[in-house]
Amino acid sequence: MSSPYLHINGIRKTFGDVVATDHVELEIAEGEFMTFLGPSGSGKSTTLYILAGFQDPTAGDIKLRGKSILQTPSHKRQIGMVFQRYTLFPHLSVGENVAFPLRVRRAPQAEIAAKVKRALSLVRLDGFEDRMPAKMSGGQQQRVALARALVYDPPVLLMDEPLSALDKKLREEIQHEIRRIHQETGVTILYVTHDQEEALRLSDRIAVFNKGKIEQVGTGPQLYASPATHFVADFIGDSAFLGGELAAVASGRASLRFADGTVLADVPMHGTGSAGGKASLMLRPERIELAAGPGAAGASLPVTIEDVTFLGNNSTVSARTGWGDVLSVRLNFGHPMMGQVQRGDALHVRWQPQDAHVFART
Amino acid sequence: MLLDFDKLGLWKWILSAICALMALFLLLPILFIVALSFGNSRWLIFPPPGWTLKWYHDLFADPRWLSAAFTSAKIALVVMVLSVALGLLASLALTRGTFRGRAVLRAFFLTPMVLPVVIIAVALYAAFLRLGLNGTFVGFVIAHLIVALPFSVITISGALETFDPSIEDAAILCGASPWEARFRVTLPAISHGLFSAAIFSFLISWDEVVLAIFMASPTLQTLPVKVWTTLRQDLTPVIAAASTLLVGLTAILMIVAALIRKGKSR
Ligand SMILES: Nc1ncnc2c1ncn2[C@@H]1O[C@H](COP(=O)(O)OP(=O)(O)OP(=O)(O)O)[C@@H](O)[C@H]1O
Ligand SMILES: [Mg+2]
Repeated sequence: MSSPYLHINGIRKTFGDVVATDHVELEIAEGEFMTFLGPSGSGKSTTLYILAGFQDPTAGDIKLRGKSILQTPSHKRQIGMVFQRYTLFPHLSVGENVAFPLRVRRAPQAEIAAKVKRALSLVRLDGFEDRMPAKMSGGQQQRVALARALVYDPPVLLMDEPLSALDKKLREEIQHEIRRIHQETGVTILYVTHDQEEALRLSDRIAVFNKGKIEQVGTGPQLYASPATHFVADFIGDSAFLGGELAAVASGRASLRFADGTVLADVPMHGTGSAGGKASLMLRPERIELAAGPGAAGASLPVTIEDVTFLGNNSTVSARTGWGDVLSVRLNFGHPMMGQVQRGDALHVRWQPQDAHVFART
Repeated sequence: MLLDFDKLGLWKWILSAICALMALFLLLPILFIVALSFGNSRWLIFPPPGWTLKWYHDLFADPRWLSAAFTSAKIALVVMVLSVALGLLASLALTRGTFRGRAVLRAFFLTPMVLPVVIIAVALYAAFLRLGLNGTFVGFVIAHLIVALPFSVITISGALETFDPSIEDAAILCGASPWEARFRVTLPAISHGLFSAAIFSFLISWDEVVLAIFMASPTLQTLPVKVWTTLRQDLTPVIAAASTLLVGLTAILMIVAALIRKGKSR
């Protein structure tokens, strides 16, 4: 097997007692758009900084095209990076900012002029050469930063929450630009965000970080449809969890017993657990159906309606199970039940067997 | 705003008048001395009965005045360079360092600002007696550097604090070596702070009189010291002319400093 383009090989980084990343292992293909998604403090930036060379890992290696880059100092790694904060050089014009990487490489003047023009055109800022950074909006500044990071054709582009300081509308606009630029240039991108929508919109694959570890790597649909852990299920998309106890476990399927003794048999199970251990049942709200009684096929639970909230194109219904847990169910506009359901109604929630997942809790 | 100036009614006029009086109070002595320097009265009569440039002729004809001005300028220039260089290094340590006792060190660096100058002067005089530095150029420079450095440290660390170190990181990833990043990015980005520090350091040395009186020797004295000693011997309008030039240079440099600050905020 040929070696991967970029290999993050068991990176561990500790700051005193704090473990920032713990054996992060990831292979990234050339031209791939990989996003690190995770809550605050989960080690996303630390991993990126180690790639950039701002920090040395406590253990592990980073290989680019099969060669370790850890011994190469930051300024010789050729890596491009766009930071969360605005990092344009305040005393230089936009054109000179973008030219800077080429100037320190002592490129000939004609080449600099041509490449700066091309890079600015790539981020749709043609003609802004003479503008000073202080006179540009945050979105424009980040686009210049992107042009500056791409102008020397880096093998890898790192982006650490580059859009988090922008408002939602502008953020979506620049997300489209980033996608287009990725397609046009084919550059390999490592992107950090804690916004799942952003991750889903941009990435080829997503690595979900939690507490310094990667919980799961996969495409958006993979992570959504078959989350490997409770954390991933909770972090990606909306989900409802019902806590219970494992009654039996066999070959990737489990029976779950709830507090009132109800048993759900034969649910796909993730993670390891044995009978008697704690576990939760996960359901996506849009996969749950509300009905008057249990259906002929599929699984169901009797519930009492707690509350109904109308939200325009859908209504969210809170349904309480026999043992007191609350599930939320989504009714799309036009659903026959919409407008019918009322507080206190005794109904059933139903779902298809493949839509439920059991996660062992440790 | 509750205290909007336009809504203050009568108070608006009272406050304006107080401001005008204060400006007058600060400016009058200067206007007075400038007028006297052009007045033709030997006895500094105000208002002058007539006008003349005689005192300026006398001033420029006297090599002692010229040499004092030259000494002042030389000392102020050397103090300026050293104060900015040392102030930059100290500010880098204070803003970027993570060592313990940083806050204490910063406060310590500012003590010459609050210590009475006379006390510094006496202490330096005593120390320099042993070192043989009294009356020397080096002695002057050290003495003025002590009072100029706090201003350098304040202005330069102020500029460094508003400069995000991520910008330096960005320069390094762009391919600049750490030193190249500091010279091509950090220093130009804080240049307004460096310029302010330079101008203030120069002015502090240029205008300083207490330390200079202690340091001066008959052969080496600065312009303010020359004004002071001449004043004690004989009250000639040449002093007014010298003072006018002193104030003039100060005013020009202050205006330059203000322009730099304005340019920065734009
Ligand atoms: N220089 C440092 N010194 C000490 N601890 C650090 C340092 N840098 C990071 N950490 C710790 O390492 C952990 C991971 O931090 P990191 O910045 O990688 O998180 P992150 O996933 O980027 O979070 P965020 O979304 O908030 O940016 C955190 O607990 C953080 O407090
Ligand atoms: Mg971060």
